[in-house]
Amino acid sequence: MFYSNKEDVLPAEQVKAGNDSSHLLGNSGVQTMEAYSEKDISSVLAYAHENDKTVHVISGGTKRGFGGEMEQADILLSLANCKGIVEHSAGDLTMTVRPGTTLKEITDELSKSGQFAALDTPWPEMATIGGIISANDSGPKRLLYGSARDLVIGLRVVYPDGRVIRTGGKVVKNVAGYDMNKLFIGAMGTLGVISEITIKLRPLPKYEGLSLLHFSRGKEKEIHNFSVRLLDSMMEPAALELLTPSLAERLIGKSSYTLAIAFEDREKAVFEQEKWIKENLPDGVEHTILHQENAKKWWEGFRHIGPNGYNDENNEATSRAALKIGSNNLDVLVHLQAAEQLAEAHHVDAAGHGGLGHGISRIFVRGLPEDIVSYIHALRAKAEEKLGYAVCTHLPFALRETVSVWGDQPGHFALLEGIKQTNDPKRILNRKRFVGGI
Amino acid sequence: MFGKKRKMERPDAVVRRLMDIAGEKEVLYKKEDLISYECDGYTMSKGMPKAVVFVQNTEQVSNVVKYLNREEIPYIARGAGTGLSGGATPLGGEVLISLVKMKKMLELDLENRKAVVEPGYINLKLTQSISDKGYYYAPDPSSQYACTIGGNVAENSGGAHCLKYGVTTNHILGLEIVLPSGEIVELGEEGVPDRPGYDLLGLLTGSEGTLGIVTKVTVKVLKNPEGKKTVLAYYDDIDDASQAVSDIIAAGIIPAALEMMDEIAIEGVESAAYPVGHPRDIAAFLLIEVDGIAAGIDDQIEEILAVCKKNNVREVKVAKDEAERGLWWANRKMGFGAMGAISPDYLVQDGVIPRTRLPEVLAKITEISRKYELRIANIFHAGDGNLHPLILYDASVPGESERASKAGSECLKVCADVGGSITGEHGVGIEKSAEMRFVFTDEEMAAQTNVRNVFNPEDLLNPGKLFPQPGRCVEITQGDMGTGTVSQGKQSAGT
Repeated sequence: MFYSNKEDVLPAEQVKAGNDSSHLLGNSGVQTMEAYSEKDISSVLAYAHENDKTVHVISGGTKRGFGGEMEQADILLSLANCKGIVEHSAGDLTMTVRPGTTLKEITDELSKSGQFAALDTPWPEMATIGGIISANDSGPKRLLYGSARDLVIGLRVVYPDGRVIRTGGKVVKNVAGYDMNKLFIGAMGTLGVISEITIKLRPLPKYEGLSLLHFSRGKEKEIHNFSVRLLDSMMEPAALELLTPSLAERLIGKSSYTLAIAFEDREKAVFEQEKWIKENLPDGVEHTILHQENAKKWWEGFRHIGPNGYNDENNEATSRAALKIGSNNLDVLVHLQAAEQLAEAHHVDAAGHGGLGHGISRIFVRGLPEDIVSYIHALRAKAEEKLGYAVCTHLPFALRETVSVWGDQPGHFALLEGIKQTNDPKRILNRKRFVGGI
Repeated sequence: MFGKKRKMERPDAVVRRLMDIAGEKEVLYKKEDLISYECDGYTMSKGMPKAVVFVQNTEQVSNVVKYLNREEIPYIARGAGTGLSGGATPLGGEVLISLVKMKKMLELDLENRKAVVEPGYINLKLTQSISDKGYYYAPDPSSQYACTIGGNVAENSGGAHCLKYGVTTNHILGLEIVLPSGEIVELGEEGVPDRPGYDLLGLLTGSEGTLGIVTKVTVKVLKNPEGKKTVLAYYDDIDDASQAVSDIIAAGIIPAALEMMDEIAIEGVESAAYPVGHPRDIAAFLLIEVDGIAAGIDDQIEEILAVCKKNNVREVKVAKDEAERGLWWANRKMGFGAMGAISPDYLVQDGVIPRTRLPEVLAKITEISRKYELRIANIFHAGDGNLHPLILYDASVPGESERASKAGSECLKVCADVGGSITGEHGVGIEKSAEMRFVFTDEEMAAQTNVRNVFNPEDLLNPGKLFPQPGRCVEITQGDMGTGTVSQGKQSAGT
């Protein structure tokens, strides 16, 4: 495929002049090209490759503030209209879907068959499956259901030169060749553009319960002990997520460390586990239980707390940032406490949550840009001290020039660089969006 | 070759250097010592290694690799050698780096649900060593009493219980690997999830020892389920059994395991070490296990029993105690080995299909059996559509090995044609490298070998595996693949 001029790449109505060259979050393009199909994606990339044009990829735009040191590329390739369910094989518990489909669209469709895609990521009505997988986003229930790497069984990927490569397949168990799916999950679109995704599904849980445990100040040690006891029991929580007092205040109106413990199982099994919680409740801990619709509603609220690419305040004084901290499971408490204490020292507002059974914490920050920068440095240092890491999942473009989004290069960076070089030798795709400026 | 008198074999320069690195007693180089390393659990292809070196630590692995690289000598990492696709089988002349002496548990952190083991640590031993505390390691290949965690990582091994709990890749949190350059790298340090960077942990797992040598593994450990119940259902019609599988899943139940065996497979296991007393005249049985919170299990069992009955089950029963459950599972896990009791030789295949296509695929396998005049027993992880057709043959009958090979390949074609895969848990290795063309285009395989070149640019680490060799294709006659000693004059792949 060779395109001598861009008019041949896509029909005129799918090409627009970029009108947001100075978007607060960067990751823009001189031109926006709307792909409706895999063929469109392939045409755009083949054109870009031939003509040495750089390409940013966007879909729902909720992760526009996640990485990227280049304010504007030649082309902003939008997948927002490359959407729809290609195939839902209910009997096989699998589904094939195009990247621009929102998680809510997927959830709604699957619920008709009593199934769901086990991803409880934020902003489901805006975030698309392609973006969720490219950014390896996840929510509290990864504790029971796993994250994108556990769900994706096959992909179609358009390589930077326009080739379409299939990875994995449509069956739930498959070891033919390398597990190439994994390379594209969380790769921030730097190795290829995902044009089709096949994921494993699950039956919707028969019953849902949520126990909220409020620990008053000074009871932090109890949180640790209680969580250790729960994790060492045979209970099977879908989520064991700790909320900072500031987040609990916002969501529940109680300014105390709060454990959100979800059970999703048969009704009897949920009640049995809630009974365990009651019986093992530490003294002085306040306890609320929500069931079914009320539990669902609570989680719905929970999924709308962070930045979404459209809710930044467009003024000099207040910026928004979000961080993902990875750590040993039980260090989550330490990191959330640090997040709270450092917020005071650095004059920012911070709220967060983290999974005591999975080791991922999320911190949402508001404040003056310079305060946010110093806060991130301090929090990252704490995370690294405990052999964890901190990644900035949302930052205005201007701040991404002063704070490293990904932290230091890993020891095996040469391998990452080698893979990027292999897939995208001209470095046209999402240039500098990922670790070490890949 | 045993009959002839041979000259005293002396270690050559390569062997002496390996002895310098690992110790004199840690290197095998005499022909008679190397015989048992000619193949792994896949015995249709054999090749003589140059030597076997038993390394004891990461540094030795690195030094061996650096040296072999310099000398441009190919090498293969090997664990217990239980692999079923020839992944650890030499093509001829490779140095085998055996990791069986690196078998320590280095760390156990139950609070954070992880353990760090050396690659030679045996799968079952991991579960046994933590079971007193109520924990276990989920992936349970049938060879788990012997196979090593390092080998499990290389093959991304599955097992009967991966329907609910996933395969090896879902349980690996971190790896230390020695790259073909000799460099030691850590992935997923401390077992912390989602470290920034491409998911090399996921890429390495299942790469069949072609990207690096695993020297340390951080695995996830799980708490034992509170309750567990096992159901055995006998069917007169295999289509009814298949339908029951689909109906159980459709009822919103994800059993921990959902296994099926057909008539010939049952004949095998009943003739082997752990007979259960299954009726010999049934078409198939289902072995279904549900685990989780005890209070939720009875309802699920009731539903499963109802589904079985709806689908014309002849008899269905719930294991009355742990002893009965244990016997049912021992009987099932003997499955492959049991074929030895009813056939001189057998070839096991490992196709995967969308589970809803089971009846149609079974019918096609029956046709293949007729066409090649070979009996085919079927053992399935039915819940996840992973079929193990066992092709029974007698290698001493001229032409029968070739027929078995062709039948195996055709079974895989059937799986690929319904949108499935050529391997669900055994890997490609030597055996199925030609069949990779059933599922991937040349361009797609090139995308994979290009990634391999980033890690293994000289292709000295486990060369000639996983991908079809240039110029060879599925149609080419047998015997064309591999340069090693070919046992019994046959190959399974390449036909």
